[in-house]
Amino acid sequence: MDLTYAPEDRAFREQCRAWLEANVPRHDLMTLDERRAWHRKLYEAGYVGMLWPKEYGGWGATPMQQAIVQDEMARAGAPPAINGLGIGFIGPTIIVHGTEWQKRRYLQKMLTAEEIWCQLYSEPNAGSDLASLRTRAEDQGDHFVVNGQKIWTSSGPIADWGILLARTDPGVPKHKGISCLLLHMRQPGVEVRPLKQITGHSLFSEVFMTNARAEKRDLLGKPGQGWEIAQTTLGYERGANSLGRVTRYAISFTQLVRAAKDLRRGGRPLLQDPVVRAKMGKLYAELEVQRYAALRVLSALDKGEAPGPFSSVTKLSYTEFEKRFYETALEILGPYGELMSATADYEEVDTSSGEPGTWATAFLWSRAGTIYSGSSEIQKNIIGERVLGLPKEVRADRLRA
Amino acid sequence: MDFSFSSDQQLLRNAARSFLDEHMTPATARTLWEDPRGESEAIWKEMAQLGWLGLSLPEAHGGSGLGMVETAIVLEELGRTACPAAYWPTMLAATAIAEAGSDAQRHRWLPAVASGEVRASVALLDAELDWHPGATATRAERTSDGYALTGAKRYVPWAHVANVLLVPARAPEGLTMFLVEAAAPGLTLSSAPVMDPGMRWVDVTLDRVRVSADAVVGREGAAEASMLALIRRGAVGAAAEMLGAARRCLDMAVAYAKVREQFGQPIGSFQAIRHTCADMYLDVENSHSAVYYAAWALDARADDHEVAASVAKSYVGDAARRVCGEAIQVHGGIGFTWEYDLHVYFKRAKALEVMYGDGDFHRELVLRAVS
Repeated sequence: MDLTYAPEDRAFREQCRAWLEANVPRHDLMTLDERRAWHRKLYEAGYVGMLWPKEYGGWGATPMQQAIVQDEMARAGAPPAINGLGIGFIGPTIIVHGTEWQKRRYLQKMLTAEEIWCQLYSEPNAGSDLASLRTRAEDQGDHFVVNGQKIWTSSGPIADWGILLARTDPGVPKHKGISCLLLHMRQPGVEVRPLKQITGHSLFSEVFMTNARAEKRDLLGKPGQGWEIAQTTLGYERGANSLGRVTRYAISFTQLVRAAKDLRRGGRPLLQDPVVRAKMGKLYAELEVQRYAALRVLSALDKGEAPGPFSSVTKLSYTEFEKRFYETALEILGPYGELMSATADYEEVDTSSGEPGTWATAFLWSRAGTIYSGSSEIQKNIIGERVLGLPKEVRADRLRA
Repeated sequence: MDFSFSSDQQLLRNAARSFLDEHMTPATARTLWEDPRGESEAIWKEMAQLGWLGLSLPEAHGGSGLGMVETAIVLEELGRTACPAAYWPTMLAATAIAEAGSDAQRHRWLPAVASGEVRASVALLDAELDWHPGATATRAERTSDGYALTGAKRYVPWAHVANVLLVPARAPEGLTMFLVEAAAPGLTLSSAPVMDPGMRWVDVTLDRVRVSADAVVGREGAAEASMLALIRRGAVGAAAEMLGAARRCLDMAVAYAKVREQFGQPIGSFQAIRHTCADMYLDVENSHSAVYYAAWALDARADDHEVAASVAKSYVGDAARRVCGEAIQVHGGIGFTWEYDLHVYFKRAKALEVMYGDGDFHRELVLRAVS
């Protein structure tokens, strides 16, 4: 056991920090073109697609290096890369399951954000029970005709392509009749309607597909393999942004300390109030445990160990922590925690969406983490069944299958 | 960076587990509860043979020169069996001697600790039960050839089997650490029975207990920092032991949930039970990260080793209490019986939660360091 960073990782961090100091945009990126340009700059510096194999345009870096970049970007307040879903897990899924044609056609443009990707999985009636999805893709020989509705689609309005789960065989048990297709979003049969979230922003959408067309060559894997592919997709989504996330919390905590020195109650700064101190001490202790856990996961990833179902532990841990973190912060901040636009600088914090905001927006955003990518309840089922080996529950759909 | 155990550390863990599984069965522990000393001389000698008693002591004094990570590995296993033994207080006193003691003190005590001939303890709490070193009220008055100590030390673990006690007291020069032999005239012991039957706490009264000037450990008047360091080290060790107790309870709860049937199914198939077990697992794994990070940081003298110790103690104290308690809940009525072993680990975790600084104490230290 040795938690010191290797000399080459320290050198890499220095190099990354210097690059960010020289290159992080000095103003907020307002337009899609500006964000695309920043993405491309990050890519060319070797900071996007880091874990992708070199043969597909990636950098063949280590998980540690990737985590260091995310960490330094958080520290520098750098805007995130734009095509996160594509690069984080749609691309890796194509690398694992795709044909050579698909890899050549899609991967490079994904890396450079020339084409932006979204995920078309959840449906209004298929959330945690994703396998009950109803969107149909009918085989028409050389193409599929897709009809149905998807929901909670991040980057929907700006996406050029989507990775789609659709039912191709309604005659078999639900997990077996699903296929995975790559769907062109810019076609008449696809309509994207932004959804307004509790934060007031619209970062996700509903997607309606009416006789939309997906080419045969865009079937990912074999027909009926969609559910299996979705499992690996979800697996890629977790794990590597570990350090950057904790650094964001730590930066927020520092702002909370400043606020607690400024704000007063009972004739003294909040920071001198024993009740506030107890809450803040607990908060920081929990934050540090998240950091230790992140280092543990990272050290395993760096040795080439697959996180497997343990990634459910990580996701459960940080998303539940994030809720407690902002809940406690808002208890301490009182009325300041309600503000939706910042006036003092400690009122401005990074939210887990990657967008800057106030304590109030960060608090609202923290409700999303325990729902997306498999709710906390689903993660606990996975931990129970696959880590602890507890018996599966008796479920009506399993009885039918 | 590598957060996993080295092969030597893994071997140590396996050896500790198999030794304790064989020699510290729940039945053995229960026999020791009834024993007036509360511990086993034979097992203590075995611990010496296994090298546990000199694990972190210098090689020059009969030890192995290893660190807190290895010590935490052993402590986790001791917690896993709720082993009744004076292990941790003895190691803490010995570490203080190794770090701050004179050559004479090291020669006198360390080889004897490593070989299992003597036991020791640390008297960190005074009558007010305040863990801050500044609250030490025991006095050390100058005499012609040394000091005379007077005061009341509370809840000194395993003091009744210790040959020597590390006693902080307020000398004319300021807070000072003394080695006081248990046989010294004027020192009286009285046991304070606690809910963990495998743990012994003893009140130690000092009435003009005379020690010579060379009983001082470290510099006169400079003990505040070393006492805090001792509390922090004690906290990391206690966290490791609580982690062991919690992991045992998790294992028992999961095993039980697989076989106990109600409504015609194993109760582990119900989400209410499964999600409880998943929460317990998360608590245990996060506790593992906290304990071994803090242990490593202490060994490496990392910049944040002080904060890490307080983080580990406060976090694991809460987590272990939750996990051991939920294990009882998962078991239902059987988990509330004296015959079933769960309460043993529940009580061990609870006893250690309040030692070497409780959660509130350490959370305050954490906040002081970062605000």
